[in-house]
Amino acid sequence: MANGLPYEKLLQECLKGELRVVNAGLPRNQKPLSTLLHEEYPHVLCSDGSSHLFKRRELNYLASVINTDEQESLLLPVLIELGQNQAEAAVICQTDVVQKLITKILDMPVTPEQGRITIYKPQLALLRKTLKTTSQYVFSPKILDR
Amino acid sequence: MPQLIKVRPTKIELVKLKRRLTLASRVQKIVKDRLSILTMEYLQIARETVETKKKLIDAFVEAYKALSIASGYHGYITLEKELTATETDMKVAAGIRNIAGVRIPSLELQGDRKPMLKYNLADTSSWLDHAAQLYKKCLETTIEIAELQSSLELLGAEINRTKRITNALEYMIIPGLEFTIKFLKMKFEERDREEKGRLKRVKVLVGRG
Repeated sequence: MANGLPYEKLLQECLKGELRVVNAGLPRNQKPLSTLLHEEYPHVLCSDGSSHLFKRRELNYLASVINTDEQESLLLPVLIELGQNQAEAAVICQTDVVQKLITKILDMPVTPEQGRITIYKPQLALLRKTLKTTSQYVFSPKILDR
Repeated sequence: MPQLIKVRPTKIELVKLKRRLTLASRVQKIVKDRLSILTMEYLQIARETVETKKKLIDAFVEAYKALSIASGYHGYITLEKELTATETDMKVAAGIRNIAGVRIPSLELQGDRKPMLKYNLADTSSWLDHAAQLYKKCLETTIEIAELQSSLELLGAEINRTKRITNALEYMIIPGLEFTIKFLKMKFEERDREEKGRLKRVKVLVGRG
């Protein structure tokens, strides 16, 4: 502790490491549901080089909820952003299909604001229960501004 | 009582300490968020494990009953002959999914819906079909429970590790830094007061002379 530099480096490394670890599971690119349904082992590549496997059961459920045209525009995994408020999370909503899907799963109307659907912790638990492998957490740098 | 960090009482050290405190609070924010997510997932998986275990026990009870009836109907030897010839391999798709930095296994039974019904349907009864269907359900539930239990163990270990980091930050590092910053500030104020007193004394001495 007497020498400040290694200590500061340690903290800096810890911060970098934590951000890297929590976002290691982020997909390099999202795939449409229609493509994943035709893959033998539906998966996406993550930022750390590993692959994230989707469960066919979940994909079939999603396919049953939305129609064939919408399957093309539903990009998976659905990203859930954790940001400034600890009690809230935001589902990144690039297309209307995501909104429709969240409405169906949560059984309540939701409206996106600036491309994000804000949900609370109990709703997040419900969403994650249904979309176990087809959703992924994103730890936003906004956490640091809190 | 927070531990005082041994540093030289200089302004530069104070700036460094302040920077360290900001960094430590940032790390704490991320770690806390991660911990809350991991705990939420852990509780959810624990609930699911309990449900699945109940389901597994019920499924095995049902399947065993059905098999007993089928074996009573056909006889053990005939049934064994019929079933040995129709053994099939099961395919399980195994992968990894990532929950807030924790890599947990993902298992899913693959293949067609009725892989077990490959025996001669003309020579066997519907009791055997029923038993085979129930055992298929058992197999699916067993795979499900395997995934859930290993997830539970991995998440539990990660929660422990994260909790230790959070506690270290919350009760050791951050209070230690805040205490040292406060100590340094007090030391500088004291130095200022001493300096003022000294100046006053010099002024008096100069005035006398």
